[in-house]
Amino acid sequence: MDKRNIIKWLIYAALTLLAAACLLPFAMMIINSTRSNTEIVRGFTLIPGKSLIENYKNMMYHMDVSDGIFKGIWLGYKNSFIIASSVTILSAYFSALTAYGFYAYEFKGKKLLFIIILIMMMIPSQLSLLGFFELNKALKTLDSYIPLIVPSIATPFTVFFMRQYLISSMHPAVIEAARIDGAGELSIFHKIILPMMLPAIATMSIFTFIGAWNSYIVPLVVIFSPEKYPLPVLMGYLKGGKVAENLGSMYLAISMSVAPIIIAFMFLSKYIISSISAGSVKE
Amino acid sequence: MKKLLSAVLSMILITTLFVGCGSKTNKNAKELEINKDKVLRVWSFTDELKKPLEYFEKKYGIKTELTIIPTENYASKIQPVLESGVGAPDVFTAEIAWVKQWIDLPYWENLSEDPYNADEWEKDYVPYVFNLGKDSNGNVKALSWQATPGGFIYKRWIARKVWGNDDPAFVGEKLSSMENFFKAAEELKKAGYKIVPDEGAIRWFAKGSDPKPWVNEKNELQLTQAQIDFMDYQKKLRENEYTAMAPEWSPAWFASMQGPVPFNAGWDKLDKVKSDKKVEVFGYVMPTWGLHYVIKPNAKDTAGDWGLTSGPSPYFWGGTWIGVYSGSDNKGAAWEFVKMMTHDEEFLNWWYQETGDLLSYKPVTDKVKDTASDKFLKGQNHYQFFLKEAEKINPNIVTKYDQGIDNIWGNVVSEYVNGKKTKEQAINEFYKQVKNAYPEIITPLDKQ
Amino acid sequence: MNSRNKYGYLFISPFFIVFSIFGIYPIFLSLYMSFTDYKGIGSPFKANWVGLQQYLRLASDKYFLQAFVNTWKIWGVNIILQLSLALILAILFSDIRLKLKGLSLFRAIFYLPNLMTVSSVALLFLYILDWQHGALNGLLLKYGFISKPVNWLGEPITAQLSVSLIQTWLWFGHTFIIIFAGIQGISKDYFEAAMIDGANRWQTFFKVTLPLLKPIMIYVVITSLIGGLQLFEIPFLISQNGLGGPEGSLVTMVLYLYNQAFKYHNFGYASAVAYGLFLIILIFSMIVFKGMFKEEV
Repeated sequence: MDKRNIIKWLIYAALTLLAAACLLPFAMMIINSTRSNTEIVRGFTLIPGKSLIENYKNMMYHMDVSDGIFKGIWLGYKNSFIIASSVTILSAYFSALTAYGFYAYEFKGKKLLFIIILIMMMIPSQLSLLGFFELNKALKTLDSYIPLIVPSIATPFTVFFMRQYLISSMHPAVIEAARIDGAGELSIFHKIILPMMLPAIATMSIFTFIGAWNSYIVPLVVIFSPEKYPLPVLMGYLKGGKVAENLGSMYLAISMSVAPIIIAFMFLSKYIISSISAGSVKE
Repeated sequence: MKKLLSAVLSMILITTLFVGCGSKTNKNAKELEINKDKVLRVWSFTDELKKPLEYFEKKYGIKTELTIIPTENYASKIQPVLESGVGAPDVFTAEIAWVKQWIDLPYWENLSEDPYNADEWEKDYVPYVFNLGKDSNGNVKALSWQATPGGFIYKRWIARKVWGNDDPAFVGEKLSSMENFFKAAEELKKAGYKIVPDEGAIRWFAKGSDPKPWVNEKNELQLTQAQIDFMDYQKKLRENEYTAMAPEWSPAWFASMQGPVPFNAGWDKLDKVKSDKKVEVFGYVMPTWGLHYVIKPNAKDTAGDWGLTSGPSPYFWGGTWIGVYSGSDNKGAAWEFVKMMTHDEEFLNWWYQETGDLLSYKPVTDKVKDTASDKFLKGQNHYQFFLKEAEKINPNIVTKYDQGIDNIWGNVVSEYVNGKKTKEQAINEFYKQVKNAYPEIITPLDKQ
Repeated sequence: MNSRNKYGYLFISPFFIVFSIFGIYPIFLSLYMSFTDYKGIGSPFKANWVGLQQYLRLASDKYFLQAFVNTWKIWGVNIILQLSLALILAILFSDIRLKLKGLSLFRAIFYLPNLMTVSSVALLFLYILDWQHGALNGLLLKYGFISKPVNWLGEPITAQLSVSLIQTWLWFGHTFIIIFAGIQGISKDYFEAAMIDGANRWQTFFKVTLPLLKPIMIYVVITSLIGGLQLFEIPFLISQNGLGGPEGSLVTMVLYLYNQAFKYHNFGYASAVAYGLFLIILIFSMIVFKGMFKEEV
């Protein structure tokens, strides 16, 4: 073996070690989900235990009976799914619509309005958090999904991204041809533009969905009833409840809360990673 | 346009008239309508009300819905609901820490007024419990079915092994002052036991030995000498290794009720302690509810071998108050439930049989106090003990700041105990943090 | 203006209507509240107008200063680790002479943590790092790396370090992907030219790769800065009662804001904190931007 090969193998070893360190928390989480509270209290081992089903039953029982999360963790999945999919659909449709409005038409104030969008992209959400809370208090929309879903009609970054996409990959002649055929402006958008924008919509939708699925501080502040908690908020609440008295059940709840994303990532990882690479180089 | 405007105006006029009439007739009747088709919505911070609500459903044929938000987040979740009225409950409970915060706000219905007239019930309750439910004008806003004096709940077999006597009176004598408490701690330590799970456990005795509110009527912060003395007591507990280092509500703390727990202290000072060593905790500074809802379910194997006695000073901790939400449109049923929960002899009798919890309703407590006995406590009469302790409670020391200030104080004391701060630094830090959280409170630093 | 162009307004109007209500109005409402002593009860418009009082308090608030310092410490350690790790990985994988295999697998593993629900991650580490029953101490003790358990979350330094490392764990894969893509985007001509000039690996890196990566590095640092200064979930969930202990070492600026508003009901002051935070992010983003471009000009 020459020197280069030795170096190569050392690098591989280091990379494997790093990957192992990266996966270690997941391993701990999954292994401890299968061990009982007493086993966990005694110390850590890499050998799985036999208490998975017991942990599951205990977790569901305590969520339902003591912590007020009736129907347990599955309710969190359902709520998060409702919120994240509504957000994704609204954001995709209206961002495409807005981006197209900016791309295809000339009107007074267009530049100014687009600059406003650019500025708003930079403003941290914490600046509006308290005002947002007070607004919803006044509108009587607290403890509902309205403050979580409706604002996604206006997502500046997605509009910006989609406008860039239109500029780089759309030819104005397509629109002109459709107009000559006598198509109305709205149907041009729905029948021609929207399908052509699908690649951009798909990219943004994945990130919008994951972002909405994982979002924490806004639902934490505006949702009160446990039966409405999305998954991340529900997880945060478990900390103060009865489930947390049993470590095995707690590890299991954590595992279950991240499982959908891990599974989705297995199928979409190539696509997600190439989207990130593409997005960053353009900016 | 004019026509439209006048039409709108007259519409508004008619509606206001209607509303005005509605409330008037309601008042004249002095009676609340009980709508059996409406679901009664209740919010609370534990599952304690689950069984009473089942009882209520059976008795009245009214459907109910209980929303539980664990203590840590209850206040920050329910307050906006009460503020905005959206999705608000008909009945909600408050832990003692929040009663004072909410009682002068328009959240609870005034129960002193018609048609409730709860004032007439005053003589039926343990006095402090009834008084805490009054706002600053003396109106009753909330009621409670329980009283929550504290005690020292201990493992009898350890007392027998160490002192050859497990009698509550004997053990009570062993703990009758802080001096004795430390003697007992030393004796227990020599036999391999820890007197309490963690240093913070004795904080209630600090409050009890000089009962003063955190904030007085002039809005000044008051730190009693007793609280300062107890900083040293806590440090002494730590330095002499009298505790199991199992912080309240941690998994280790719960586990310590069941049996020995690992004692693997992470602090450098305790280097000499072997990490695989196990220790057993002797007793817990807990009130009535701690006995029934915390210790009992976590010590099933040793039921029947526990005892209840008093510590160096009397104290009380927690308690749940209940009232009708002022914005509820189902006040009839709401009031029925509050009445059942707090003033229904039949129900409260059943509740006593079911849980053994200490009630505040005298017609029931008078009846059961001589015959009560708790199997978990080896047949000891916990009722007599707790009722006597309840008489010593001074409700005037409760303020709306208690939860926040207790937290801040607990944190700075543990920094002192851990050797991170000197006593003066810790106290100074305490003043600063209180001021930061509640700018309206006057601290000694403001006077300088 | 062409009559067709009125559709422009039609198409962008849903966005701007919703945006005005839920995006812009709350920002001004926060601003208004920051000039009052609003306590979260009733309506902010009925609260007392106190002028600049909340901002004066902010300017002399040692707890906000502490939160500011904490946030920077946590972010600082994180960005250094994250950037260096990502850079090393990107260089290794793009080295033509090494020809490393398994890029897509490694990349997926490194990136995976980034997609996790942050509140679950916080809880996971709360239990893993627990000094009595935590899996990490358990593992380290078992294999003899430490002789007694370390109270990771009980000491200010280790608590802050833990949060920095969690942040690094969450983000280095993401940064790696971006930097790697950046290196791939650099034209091969530069490297060939450097090779012809006889530059070695280090010289190529410092003289060619790094300068060309500058825009991407700025992008990474600024986005990380904006995110890092808003750090909230992990300190909130990992500390007891969400108070940011031990000894206030995990109180970040947003956690401070949240507790002032939702724990102590000082909405007026919390709004001032929000504006202070905004100003800080703005200033530092500009400094980073300017500082990193200056050398070139």
